[in-house]
Amino acid sequence: MGNTARDVPADQVDRPDRRTVLRTLVAGGALAAVGLPAAAASQGGTVSGRVAAARSRGLPARRGTAARQTGPAARPSGDAAAARQTGPAARATGDAAPARQTGPATRPSGDAAPAQTPVGGVSATQLRPPGALSSPASTTVEVRPGSSVPKPVLRRLGGPAPLPEDREFRLHLLRRTTYGVTAALLADVDDAGGTTSWLSRQLDPATLPDPVCDAVLPRFPLATATAPWCFAHLSRGSYLANQDLVRATLSRQVWSQRQLQEVMVEFWSNHLNITAPSGEVWATKGTDDREVVRAHALGRFDDMLVASLHSPAMLMYLSNATSSRVLPNENHGRELLELHTVGVGAGYGQAGVVDSARVLTGLTVWRPTDRGATPDVFGTFRYRADWHHTGPVRVLGWSHPNTDPAGGSAVAESYARYLATHPATAARLARKLAVRFVSDDPPASLVDALVSVYLEHETAIVPVLWALFTSSEFAAAAGRKQRRPAEDVVATMRALGVTPDPASTDSTAIRNVLAGLVGMGNAPLGWHPPDGYPDVAGAWSGAGTTLGRWNLHAALASGRLTSGLTWPALVPWLLGPQVPRTRGALVDALTDRLLPAGTLSPAHRTALVAFLGADGPVQPADTAGMFPLLVSMVLDSPGWCVR
Amino acid sequence: MLTDACAHAHPGPALSRRRLLQGLGLVGVAAAAPTLSSRAAYAAGGSWDGPVLLVLSLRGGFDGLSAVAPVGDPDYVRARPTIAVPAASALPTGDRMFGLHPALAPLLPLWQAGTMAAVHAVGTPDGSRSHFTAMDELERAAPGTSIRTGWLDRVLGIAGTGSAFEAVQLGSGTPARLLAGPVPALAARSLAGFNLLGADRVGTRMADTLRALHTDSPLPCAAPALLALRALDETARVVAADPGPQGGATYPTGSPLGAALADAAVLLRADVGLQTLTVDVGAWDLHADLGARGTGPMAAQLADLAGSLAAFARDLGPLFDRVTVVTISEFGRRVAENGSGGADHGHGNAVLLLGGGLRGGRVHGQWPGLRPDALDQGDLAGTTDYRDVLAEYLVNRFGLSTTALADVFPGLTPAPPGAFT
Repeated sequence: MGNTARDVPADQVDRPDRRTVLRTLVAGGALAAVGLPAAAASQGGTVSGRVAAARSRGLPARRGTAARQTGPAARPSGDAAAARQTGPAARATGDAAPARQTGPATRPSGDAAPAQTPVGGVSATQLRPPGALSSPASTTVEVRPGSSVPKPVLRRLGGPAPLPEDREFRLHLLRRTTYGVTAALLADVDDAGGTTSWLSRQLDPATLPDPVCDAVLPRFPLATATAPWCFAHLSRGSYLANQDLVRATLSRQVWSQRQLQEVMVEFWSNHLNITAPSGEVWATKGTDDREVVRAHALGRFDDMLVASLHSPAMLMYLSNATSSRVLPNENHGRELLELHTVGVGAGYGQAGVVDSARVLTGLTVWRPTDRGATPDVFGTFRYRADWHHTGPVRVLGWSHPNTDPAGGSAVAESYARYLATHPATAARLARKLAVRFVSDDPPASLVDALVSVYLEHETAIVPVLWALFTSSEFAAAAGRKQRRPAEDVVATMRALGVTPDPASTDSTAIRNVLAGLVGMGNAPLGWHPPDGYPDVAGAWSGAGTTLGRWNLHAALASGRLTSGLTWPALVPWLLGPQVPRTRGALVDALTDRLLPAGTLSPAHRTALVAFLGADGPVQPADTAGMFPLLVSMVLDSPGWCVR
Repeated sequence: MLTDACAHAHPGPALSRRRLLQGLGLVGVAAAAPTLSSRAAYAAGGSWDGPVLLVLSLRGGFDGLSAVAPVGDPDYVRARPTIAVPAASALPTGDRMFGLHPALAPLLPLWQAGTMAAVHAVGTPDGSRSHFTAMDELERAAPGTSIRTGWLDRVLGIAGTGSAFEAVQLGSGTPARLLAGPVPALAARSLAGFNLLGADRVGTRMADTLRALHTDSPLPCAAPALLALRALDETARVVAADPGPQGGATYPTGSPLGAALADAAVLLRADVGLQTLTVDVGAWDLHADLGARGTGPMAAQLADLAGSLAAFARDLGPLFDRVTVVTISEFGRRVAENGSGGADHGHGNAVLLLGGGLRGGRVHGQWPGLRPDALDQGDLAGTTDYRDVLAEYLVNRFGLSTTALADVFPGLTPAPPGAFT
């Protein structure tokens, strides 16, 4: 692992023509839109300022400390504005709101006029309308220590039962829903007015400005390249576009303000796994990332599944692109059942697999060698009626006469929507979400509850997440999940405060971090088999992986990976302006900042102090040469593995 | 809190039901976590004097038709007018049908001494010509099932000792797919690189601190971390104590395979409990310029393979008898050469075997011939299932029962090729 820790470009596949590519790209302008709202960019300056201000506050507020925070005075003038902004309360006042967009709380709240109600202890920012983020006018709201949103108010708002506001729960929620707690993130939660409204915003990510991400993503322009563009500008099978996508994915995990969206993007990218980089999807994976995973990560699973069945990358990855009525390939038909939806135990049998594959025949991809192919369709979805199997098809409780050769795409959609709403699919997704967010072996009570919510809300994902995060099982599960190695590394970068150097377009350091993740078998999007990265502790316990994590901690804490990144001075960043006077206090400050409460025994604390030497006054080396190593030791502690 | 009473009651190679089920992929990986700490608990015994399996993965599609050239088949030269290995320069195998590629000359003494053999026309049930699918299926080795673990992981789930070194991969930090599953594999690019970054500056303080931090922690990453620390210690110890290559062995300079095998020899000499070793070798996807008449890139890669393996055998001396080397590749290459002086993805292939316990000095298997009508979509047909080669080894040498074999290769009706005594 030691050889990944220096700034040597580690993955230079296809690099020579990169410059040409970029030049062409700028000239051609043929990239797909990044998909970020214009508002995000326009609000960038303000938000950076807010983040900077939050960071300048240094350490997170401690329990019992009153956090003084500012928020815009602007309040919505009516219920509609409030509803638009408050996530779980959305459509609280409407009557015909479809379930697909809302939280579990779709109960109409009548005329509660929540926005006019002065809410004790709740920041007004929770209710601010679009644009209010940049409002110069502000009021100061005192948040009382230990105060939480009064339950009756939120109930009337139509929102879910509010989340606890104590520090332990807040940190638990943030460890599970983000890529790592930072001082800025804690300030964001305060700014939002507490965990409930912070979570509401995270579940409505389009409203969240994302300036740091906006600034770094242009370094990876091919991440959003379309398939025809790749065919026109890259050599066949080039890894360039896939590599940019992987780098962009890592960057978003580290720097995006839309943390829960990135967590869910990772979740779905694993559920509907398509390996990148890989030669098969060299031109098409980016489209899948954008139009299947990101488009529906917080939408409805049935929509995501329909999109996936029409995604060139998935059709290539699972060989459906070459499956025809004459030579059917069962791969996609089988994995659709086994991995994407109902699972092996659902009772479909081999006959079900065969019909599943038949349904999907004709869903393919335009190849340059196809008759009639023009460059603008290379690598895009193609329906071939002449390849589609016609005749009755039946899988589980679904059947279709399937008589029209031209109608295969609609049959596939009907089939996908049936599968998405199947109780076995609900059970698999509910359990998978519970494994992601609660524990490696989640309680059946929770899984059952999530199944009901999923089915009641017609496969909408956000209500399931609300039910999950407000469950007693979630609250009781602190400390019961382990980070995967890549998550550990991303959390480390976040904790150490690294940011993209705005004056640079160099991605060498990011590529080197990725090389380290490749070495541990956990690069974003990098899992080879179609079942996605495992998400249980036992899968990531190898000695090589453990050592890899430790060595990346050391490399990151030493600030060696500098090309294109800016590292803050570690001591003030982690300790604030006042360095503790004793080694014991120094260790306490660091572990308080970085580790979940209760994960260090007195003996562990003693060991960390002993790493510096005998307890006593802090020596100059402790905050100089030894400091990055001490930080590494803290990050190597078992507690840092806790998700 | 994390114990597995069954495993504790029967430590060692005896098969616990849980491990068996995990090996089969029949319990969720979630259930694997408890076993890990019990493994760690009895991982102290780092010694192993049984057979050692070395799997060389020849990724990209190894051209068995060049390595073990069917020079006695008239269709060979016909299909490969420019890239066939000429009969005149092929090394004699004792079988008039086959000659070894001239670049394999360093291995000829092993062949003649009976510590090398080949099996030809080895195929896979999958039959895919896609690297990805073929490799995945090859290493999963459980066609028609939903098992997700790799076959070698299943072997170790049954017969592994629990040593930190039971499953080592060298040359790459990522455990290969055949090791996917609950048994933790120790993957390292090299032994020299298997160390703690920063530790050189503070002596043993770093490892001491890490040991203390992971002792008496209830968190699941603690036990595997202690195992990692132990592996670090042992690695440092054996690397420091190793006298270097023995018997005048010289590994090819600049060869990743040579370096990995030299490291493997260090671990074997030190007796740290190495049971299985996996190494990825080379880039064999020679669609173009495979090399005319036994020269070129294919020859260069084979020379590296042969030089490294010959040095390994010499380095190990009598220890080589405990080792079995098996080469494995996702597919062979097309019989007919293409217009670029290479060969495209094919099917049937040659497997090379080296080490003890072989019926050596001969080419095993049933040769289907290269007549156009004998080919499988233009490719050498597979007449021996690769799982049968591995299965014969596992039963005859590794001591697996036939019942256990069914758990490693579900659905396989064994048809041993007779390559192992």
